[in-house]
Amino acid sequence: MAISMEHEILLHPQYFGPKLLDTVKQKLFTEVEGTCTGKYGFVIAVTTIDKIGAGTILPGQGFVTYPVKYTAIVFRPFKGEVVDAVVTQVNKVGMFAEIGPLSCFISHHSIPAEMEFDALATPACYKSKDEDIVIKQDDEIRLKIVGTRVDATGIFAIGTLMDDYLGLISS
Amino acid sequence: MSSDEEEVHQREGSDDEEDEDRINRKRKRDHVVKSKAFIDDDDDDDDDEDDRRSTKSAASSRSKGSRRPSASSNNNKKKKRRSYDDEEEEEEDEDEEDDEEDDEEYSRKRAKKRKSGVGGFILEEAEVDDEVEEEDEWEEGAEQYIHGNEMDEHGPTAREIEGSLRRHSIWDSQKEEELEKYLRQKYADEATAQRHFGDGGEDMSDEITQQTFLPGIKDPSLWMVKCRLGEEKYTVLQLMRKAIAYANNNEPLQIKSVIAPEGIKGYVYIEAFKQTHVKNAIEGISNLKMGLYKQQMVPITEMTDVLRVTKEQTGLKPKQWVRLKRGVFKDDLAQVDYVDLAQNQVHLKLLPRIDYTRMRGAMRSDSDSPNKKGFQKNQQANQRKRRPPAKPFNPDEVRKIGGEITSDGDFLLFESNRYSHKGFLYKTFQLNAILAEGVTPSLAELEKFGEVPVEGVLESGAAVTTPGSKSEVTHNFATGDNVEVCDGELQHLQGKITAIDGNKITVQPKHEDLKDPLDFQAAELKKFFAIGDHVRVIGGKYEGDTGLIVRVDIHCVFLFSDLTMHELKVLPKDLQLCADMASGVDSMGNFQWGDLVQIDPQNVGVIVRLEKELFHVLTQMGKVVEKKPQAIHKKRESKFVVGIDSRGNSIQKRDIVNVVDGVHVPDRQGEIRHIYKNYAFLYSRMCLENGGIFVCKTNHLELAGGGTNTRTDGGSKPGAGYMSPRLSSPMHPSSGGGGGGSGGNAGAGGGPNAASTSTPQNILSGGRSPLGPGRTNVTPGMPTSQRRNRDLIGQTIKITQGHYKGSIGIVKDATDTTARVELHSSCQTISVDCNRIQVIGGAGGKTGNVTTYSRTPGYSAGGSSATPMYRVGDGGRTPMHDGSRTPHYGAGNQTPMQDGSRTPAWDPTVTNTPARDDSEYYDTSYNPATPGYSHTPYTPQTPGGYAASEHSSNYSPYNASPANEARERGSERGSERDRASHRDDPSSPGGYGMLHSVPSPGGYAPSPLNYNSPMTPSGAGRGNPSADVYGHPQTPGAGLDPYSSLGGPSSVASATSSVMHGSMVSHQSHGYNTEWQTTGIEVTIKESHPEPGLRRQNGVIRNVLVGTCAVFLVQEERTVNVQSDQLVAIIPKTGDRVKVIAGELREAFGYLKSVDGSDGVVDIHGDIKFFPLSFLARLVEY
Repeated sequence: MAISMEHEILLHPQYFGPKLLDTVKQKLFTEVEGTCTGKYGFVIAVTTIDKIGAGTILPGQGFVTYPVKYTAIVFRPFKGEVVDAVVTQVNKVGMFAEIGPLSCFISHHSIPAEMEFDALATPACYKSKDEDIVIKQDDEIRLKIVGTRVDATGIFAIGTLMDDYLGLISS
Repeated sequence: MSSDEEEVHQREGSDDEEDEDRINRKRKRDHVVKSKAFIDDDDDDDDDEDDRRSTKSAASSRSKGSRRPSASSNNNKKKKRRSYDDEEEEEEDEDEEDDEEDDEEYSRKRAKKRKSGVGGFILEEAEVDDEVEEEDEWEEGAEQYIHGNEMDEHGPTAREIEGSLRRHSIWDSQKEEELEKYLRQKYADEATAQRHFGDGGEDMSDEITQQTFLPGIKDPSLWMVKCRLGEEKYTVLQLMRKAIAYANNNEPLQIKSVIAPEGIKGYVYIEAFKQTHVKNAIEGISNLKMGLYKQQMVPITEMTDVLRVTKEQTGLKPKQWVRLKRGVFKDDLAQVDYVDLAQNQVHLKLLPRIDYTRMRGAMRSDSDSPNKKGFQKNQQANQRKRRPPAKPFNPDEVRKIGGEITSDGDFLLFESNRYSHKGFLYKTFQLNAILAEGVTPSLAELEKFGEVPVEGVLESGAAVTTPGSKSEVTHNFATGDNVEVCDGELQHLQGKITAIDGNKITVQPKHEDLKDPLDFQAAELKKFFAIGDHVRVIGGKYEGDTGLIVRVDIHCVFLFSDLTMHELKVLPKDLQLCADMASGVDSMGNFQWGDLVQIDPQNVGVIVRLEKELFHVLTQMGKVVEKKPQAIHKKRESKFVVGIDSRGNSIQKRDIVNVVDGVHVPDRQGEIRHIYKNYAFLYSRMCLENGGIFVCKTNHLELAGGGTNTRTDGGSKPGAGYMSPRLSSPMHPSSGGGGGGSGGNAGAGGGPNAASTSTPQNILSGGRSPLGPGRTNVTPGMPTSQRRNRDLIGQTIKITQGHYKGSIGIVKDATDTTARVELHSSCQTISVDCNRIQVIGGAGGKTGNVTTYSRTPGYSAGGSSATPMYRVGDGGRTPMHDGSRTPHYGAGNQTPMQDGSRTPAWDPTVTNTPARDDSEYYDTSYNPATPGYSHTPYTPQTPGGYAASEHSSNYSPYNASPANEARERGSERGSERDRASHRDDPSSPGGYGMLHSVPSPGGYAPSPLNYNSPMTPSGAGRGNPSADVYGHPQTPGAGLDPYSSLGGPSSVASATSSVMHGSMVSHQSHGYNTEWQTTGIEVTIKESHPEPGLRRQNGVIRNVLVGTCAVFLVQEERTVNVQSDQLVAIIPKTGDRVKVIAGELREAFGYLKSVDGSDGVVDIHGDIKFFPLSFLARLVEY
């Protein structure tokens, strides 16, 4: 999802020069990409820089701030969203999975009851009784996000496998 | 009403016929006398009655005053309704439904009546209000009468007459339907009537109308008369009879009423205009004898309070949780089985407390009382003794002690107490012996009742207490909560709370057809949560925690805590929706999650979990202990503490490191949260235990992305180079100028900083800010408190934390803790914590570097001066500092090595040179103190012990033999060197510098920590530190610490040396590398082993030597010596014989019974223990 956003770039006077705007752009990329805001979620990539406003020199410091409007691809997980994820960790309380930058926890309560945790297997995994489904680390699963916790610096999600068509994606 | 009265009197059954007659007459007058007997001093005329009432001002009501005004017709109706009620009690409900006007007052009365409906007394009590109400009603009617008193004299209004007529006719018919119809009409009428006659066509607010009912000065007063305890109600009746008897006499009693409110013991209230009237009335009543001489008037303002219903004792419902107030069961939780209001008793189900140690029956000795708990007689005796634990009844145990058990239906009888088969005691208690309000059973308690899900939490969502208690708000709902109706017609309706007023909660329902907000009682609601909600725990054990709900059961909710990554099981009532995440900040005083705390002098830990009154602290040894906040104290920690990882990189807080070795699962990655000595507390999100915090040796870590440190790559110019000869030589104690001694020391610290980007010298300062040493040079003589940090002054800094984060400014003034910073941006000078600033503009821009640079000279310079400072300030530290360190380094063991190795490194840092000048300057300033200082402690030791030992170990070091000195230290040091050499370059034995390369900084590092550490045995400020140091039994260990930790970086350690130190301290900080290597366990040789042939081979440790292990290679069937650090223990599998290689039970043998996650269940000689798998190694028999 591409979202238009704004950001202020603080630039040191040393960059004042012919490539100033390039520096601003560069700085925008480094400062914005990979961050996470509560409102828009993770900023995946800046697609276009729409406008670089007039820079303002900060009195007493020499730094310049540029208001920049840009469009970026963001990833904002929503409750109820079904996503594909990679399992990163499996343990008895559940498993952790990553959906790109978003880490997600699937409680064992949210894993179908027929899937049981097997600590002895290496690596540890959740498997169904007849062992035809085994979810272990690095497997791809499809899950539904049931809740998110959004704070200033990141998003954490809770997922479930307890629904139709959720679980291991057989490749 | 009338019938009511009759009932009462019939119950009394002792009235003579005359009375009876009178009563009948009275009944016609609609005059009711109840336990609050209303004594009429008027004639038996209806009109007079009216008169009397109308003369009362409208404000004379003594009722609670929450009534609404109504027209006089209302009164009649009400009365009628009451009588109807009483006659046809079974119709009450129906009646109630009919009653559109059913106001609060009324319902309360009803409730009261119902609950107290057992004894006549209470019934009467219930009627009291009725009476009052009636009175009020008349008074309301009075409003209407006010305009014309003559009207009253002429008789009732037409309306009334008509009403009474109709009433009588209907009464005669006695048909329910008719009655109902009649009442319906009546009340429909009433609305109109009210409109016409009532409140002047305008609705008055409740408050205003209530005000008018309040008693005023013209009303009769209330007199409080002492009465014999427990006889209150009877007395009231007695007075009533008296009044009735006197009513037709010449001198009727002139009192208006008598009240005996429930809950007020030893007093009755008499309403009368004059005290003499009261006296007359109570004369001759024996129960009131003691009140004859003194009657206390109730102030007008308090009159309403007299009749305030204090609490509803009998809000008790079966299954409700209560607590006992006294006896053996004091504070025990019990569940109401049933309530016996008649007896004022309640039947409770609870866990018995039987003293199984006392013999019963035939087996009992004389001294034993025949009784166990429960019986009041013996309660005291029992209490004096130990209180038996609450346990389910155990028939076998009872029989064992000679108790006789008989069975009574489903119950077991033992000592006249009934026990269910589940072991619960069923017992009757007095109502006043239990506490019903505000009882919130804990989950643990509920679990004991074993029926948590079934009934225990029945009301958990709702407020558990009686809804009637008005003053206290007992629920914990908050606006915005999602709730579900759990009782009544609208059960299962969900909604959101929009407003809360006491126990009345306004809910916006989530329903298609219900658009309007509804009001509910708190008890009718329970909280409702959905999976994925982010909630905060607002009660119970986990209070303050937040998390996401992963599962909602009927009665409990599972959350996934944000902080600890644990699953918590919580009752819904303890939860609240919240958006923010628990930071855990200051949830307990000064402590917060992840804080480094000092547990005892030797141990530190990190708070991994905060509970209500308990911390879970992960100690440096990897164990989680529970500590009370009082038992620990926060460890002040500098953010500049630096450790050395396995490859010689300096690591500090916030660095990301990989765990490469040790008991922890290798390949784990974590962020360093704290460093303490050579332990690092790491945080990893992937680690579930302890909320992601785990502890590692620093030398088991590897800085992520960090290459081999520059210091280690040149074998011949290792880190030891920091000992610039120039610096260290003067520090030799014999060189005089005590300042030089520590100056060299300090220089040593400064060296590496200058030489490399790392800041090992920071370690020197241990928990203190590295600024510390530097600053000392400035005002040497000053006491510890505030010293100026001149190094910082004038620097341009950036504020890194807090409100002013990012602001840039110039330091105008600085102490070791705070700096006055003049901000560039705003014209303002603020104080900033030194930990929150970062010097900018320096090369590299990294705090560590910059400050180091600027500080180094200070340090070296101040070093000399610092020593005395230490003594002044942290006396405890000084001796160690002086004793152990100075001579060591000063002794020259290192001096030579610097020459080659470090000098170049040092040179670039000529920036420091000026500092040297400084130091000289300071030296001179110090001189007075120095000589005395340096001489006293050192002279005895230095030449002999230290220098000698050091030298010996230095120069003939490579044999691990403890050799020359009685001091293990020497030998150990030697062995350490040896190991170091092994590690770094096994082929070259010499490499003086190399020997020092890694270990020195490491060794160096811990030593100051030791000094700082409170454990340092040498007492604070002792006069002769050296003597103390060595004289003290602890000293060797402590003194050795630095050396043992020298071994740290070399990632080798010797079992032998660990043996040498008995003391705990030394053991801890030392030999950690050997911690896991032990004989008989199966190991794999690491990939990194220099000899390719050995790599990845499995073997069995045959023998543990110093720094190496004799490993029997299974494949090749030969034994080779392998450096200990090239070995990895093989993680055992279920069924293996295992040896515990770490932790307290190290060296224990057992069988691994099963593996539970990362924990192993080990059977050690029948003892089942849990260990992290990493603590276990497979044991191989050979």
